[in-house]
Amino acid sequence: MNEPRREGSVKVLVPVDGSANSDRVIDQLLAELAGGAALELVLLNVQIPVDSGHARMFVAVEDVEAYHREEGLQALKSARNKLDAAGVKYRWHVAVGHIADTIIRFAQEQGAGRIVMGTHGRTALAHLLLGSVASDVSRKADVPVTLIK
Amino acid sequence: MFEAALEPAFWVSVLQIIAIDILLGGDNAIVIALACRRLPEAQRRQGIFWGVVGAIGLRVILIFFALQLLAIPFLKIVGGLLLLWIGVKLLQPEEEEGHGNVEGSTHLIGAIRTIIIADAVMSLDNVIAVAAAAKGDLGLVVFGILVSIPIVVWGSKFVLKLMDRLPIVITFGGALLGWIAGDMFLGDASVKPYLEGQPGWLKYLSSSAGALLVVIVGTWLAKRAVRPRPPVEVVASGAEGGKDHE
Repeated sequence: MNEPRREGSVKVLVPVDGSANSDRVIDQLLAELAGGAALELVLLNVQIPVDSGHARMFVAVEDVEAYHREEGLQALKSARNKLDAAGVKYRWHVAVGHIADTIIRFAQEQGAGRIVMGTHGRTALAHLLLGSVASDVSRKADVPVTLIK
Repeated sequence: MFEAALEPAFWVSVLQIIAIDILLGGDNAIVIALACRRLPEAQRRQGIFWGVVGAIGLRVILIFFALQLLAIPFLKIVGGLLLLWIGVKLLQPEEEEGHGNVEGSTHLIGAIRTIIIADAVMSLDNVIAVAAAAKGDLGLVVFGILVSIPIVVWGSKFVLKLMDRLPIVITFGGALLGWIAGDMFLGDASVKPYLEGQPGWLKYLSSSAGALLVVIVGTWLAKRAVRPRPPVEVVASGAEGGKDHE
């Protein structure tokens, strides 16, 4: 499934939430690529599951998945546009789960050598109340994490 | 109700009802959105609107009956036990099984029906909890529901995010349900006569015991239920771009 890795390139997991901050992450990576870095980009958007057993009782599982997919693609859109415009090769995924936890596990499953992400997401209010996913990830991940402000 | 609005007890009950609605109703809004997904664009708004109206109407009626039932001796004890169970259940990790079979309807009436039925079934726990917190006052229930609707309908994403980031909120919700249950036991028509002349702190003792019970039992069961974790659930993937594709 995975394409053969280019010699010496580092697989970079890039969690994206569609915020301006994620755009800056992409800018930073494009700058690194332009500087000659060999990076294999893997974009990831994580959707929080709608899985109280109740919701699943009344809505077909395909509908729930389609919903997560649509929301995920929406969140990935801006980052993908930037990469497409720059002609950069990348893979993208939409996953469902607890956000910080899923990022860390996906990085392990994909064998990523590095995680690059923004320090804050879409809303300032959420950040204030909830703390940042980024700080959780940087604390718990077992590969280097680069945070972009 | 207006004089009552000056009493702190009124606001405590209102806050309890709002907290319950948010904690136990956060996913209702998503079911509404999902039920209307397959409707043509023009009808989607209508479906959501009438679905919400119907669901609220039905919920007020259910709570009305619950309030009547709770006046009957022993039923508050049964209700209290149910609440303890709901609280413990709130603290359990989600089951993966039990997938839906109701299709997102392509007809307006079908979508509205799905919303109302889903809301009624999904809200039974909510109904019991709200009826308990309201202590017999339907006006309070209506007020609480009106305040929480905007939060549930427009804030559902935030509620989900809140629970994702701060699991302690859920523990707090379980404790709240236990607290209300403890209070409910003492309010039962069969128990009340024995409480004449007893000190007022008995109420708080019973509530605290309920809250503690839910948190301890709930956390213990949740710890036991930890299963080996499956790989990350990926719902969409793709590979893109590169100059070699263009």
